[in-house]
Amino acid sequence: MEHNLLVEKLSLQAESFQEGFEILIKCSNFDEITKNFWHLLRGNFLVTNIHILHKLSFGAEWKIITSQTIEESLDQSLLEHKEHLSIKYITNKKYNAVVVIPLSDSSYLGILVGKKLDGGDLNDFDKITLQILLQVFSSAYNSFLNQKNEKKLIFELNEKILQLNHLIDADIELSRYDKQNVLFDLAIERVVSLTNASSALIKITNTEDGSVERQITFPSNLNQEIIINSPHKIEFAFEFNNKRYLFVLSEKETRKGATSFSDLDKLLLQAISRQVQASIENEFLLGQSLEKERIEKELNLAAAIQQRIIPKELPKIDGYEIAGINIPSKEVGGDYYDCIELTDGKYALIIADVAGKGISAALLVNTLNAALYSYLEFNLPLTDLADKLNKLIFKSSPSDKYITFFIAVLNSKTGDLDILNAGHNPIFLVRNNLELEQVEAGGIGLGMLDFGIPYEGKKLTLEVGEKLFLYTDGIPEAMNINEEEYSDERMIEFLKNNSEKKPANFIALIVSDVKNHVGAAQQSDDITSLFLKRIK
Amino acid sequence: MSTEFNIVSEIYNNTLVMRTDGYINNVAGEKIIAEFSKNFSGSMNKVVMDLGKSKVVNSIGISYLIDIIEKLNESNGKLVFTSLDPTIEKTFNIMGIFQFAQKADSVEAALK
Repeated sequence: MEHNLLVEKLSLQAESFQEGFEILIKCSNFDEITKNFWHLLRGNFLVTNIHILHKLSFGAEWKIITSQTIEESLDQSLLEHKEHLSIKYITNKKYNAVVVIPLSDSSYLGILVGKKLDGGDLNDFDKITLQILLQVFSSAYNSFLNQKNEKKLIFELNEKILQLNHLIDADIELSRYDKQNVLFDLAIERVVSLTNASSALIKITNTEDGSVERQITFPSNLNQEIIINSPHKIEFAFEFNNKRYLFVLSEKETRKGATSFSDLDKLLLQAISRQVQASIENEFLLGQSLEKERIEKELNLAAAIQQRIIPKELPKIDGYEIAGINIPSKEVGGDYYDCIELTDGKYALIIADVAGKGISAALLVNTLNAALYSYLEFNLPLTDLADKLNKLIFKSSPSDKYITFFIAVLNSKTGDLDILNAGHNPIFLVRNNLELEQVEAGGIGLGMLDFGIPYEGKKLTLEVGEKLFLYTDGIPEAMNINEEEYSDERMIEFLKNNSEKKPANFIALIVSDVKNHVGAAQQSDDITSLFLKRIK
Repeated sequence: MSTEFNIVSEIYNNTLVMRTDGYINNVAGEKIIAEFSKNFSGSMNKVVMDLGKSKVVNSIGISYLIDIIEKLNESNGKLVFTSLDPTIEKTFNIMGIFQFAQKADSVEAALK
């Protein structure tokens, strides 16, 4: 009968237990759960004197969580150190029951149930109710922990998605920047955010002398020593263009303090650092490309200057045939030739070669050309002309620039040649008996020195049938793919075998022969030649 | 560690407005919670956080902001973030913050 009554009462209470469970699982934190549980216990047992305590682990101290009044004399010794559920019904002045519940997170809940309002002890129904409520609490607490874990998992999942997203964004952003100050600021911000680093450093040192060129810290006013000396740090470095870029992250943050960085953090640091490296390399390559473009423009300009100076057509000289050629190499050189008509049937045949290439060489040729035209009007002796040109070129060129120069003033009526060779290759006069006469006399190249060293001229006569062969070193020094030169010997042999040909033919043939020798190799220097033949 | 973070707060018409300056990380998060606890009263139903001077946030900093959102949810209050840097706004989007908090262009807009 008593048993049936008990079951009937519990059935009536079932709905109340369900409501209690629903209240508890809606709680958002531990304090709220225990507070509501405390109310449930009080309401069910009509007990005001109930204390709930909690300890984080088996060996930890109990802490009072809920109590209607703070009693200094709360006897914690009643709470036995047991690892499993313990309900002890006692009879003393204060308490009816002492409960210890192990919770699923390894913490413990302690409950001291005081006397009922009527001063009585807990009856059988109360004891069963207490056991059910303890079960309700455990279930609600498990649900709370599950929700908490679920939130944590969602947070961690979102954090990973965020890291991936930030990494992709950072890669795109970093690849866009060509200004290094913006690049480093952005990289350091992204990498601390990605890894939860407390601070970071980017240090750029010169690998040749070890000097520090730049250092960027995050936060910006932080002493770099704090980062360098941190017990929790990771580093990554790369070298490029004589600079070492060191990336340091210090103190990975958690809400419980600093911790060591994970392998993932190291990968993230590497990824960001590599992207910075790629951006720096790209910036460098872009700079090189722009420089190359600038040089190409300069070379085109130099080529244009040079081509304007090289005569498009040589003058027709009565009693003579003349032909010339200038084939500039890819890098514009400073070769020059001309045949300038003077007065009284005289002509100046000139060939010259500026040491060096590029726009400065082309400009120097331009200077030589302009000066020549001016000085030749004064009909100066060639030694004086060479002296004046030497002074001019010396003044208007850097120390490493000079011009090898050959001039022959032809009196077309007599075949007399007034010759001066200023440091140029020996010029060949092909006599009618096919003997070659080398013309070397003269002096140093123009602009080489300005010590007043006198130039020396030479006088020769070109008889009918004889030829004068002027060339630059682009012919004998033309190299094939095996770096073998065309050579003086082969050129002389060619000259001997082909000098009877008409000058235009001769020039075309020797160029063809040189090109055959060079083959697939790139033309390394200008090819320039002038060939004069007296025909009557 | 973070020496640069600062936070100031004001109350406008029963709305707490907190303005941050610097990296929102663990230390900053603790300062934000302390400032919130010091100035928030149960009668407030809105808190505005102006992050205009914060360009970087990490996930630890975000976890403190979530704490504030949860505390406000308990009292049916709402949190409004203002002047968000695009990177931070994207971060909050991915972390799902805007499911529980709002954003506005400025403090003035948030106070309306």
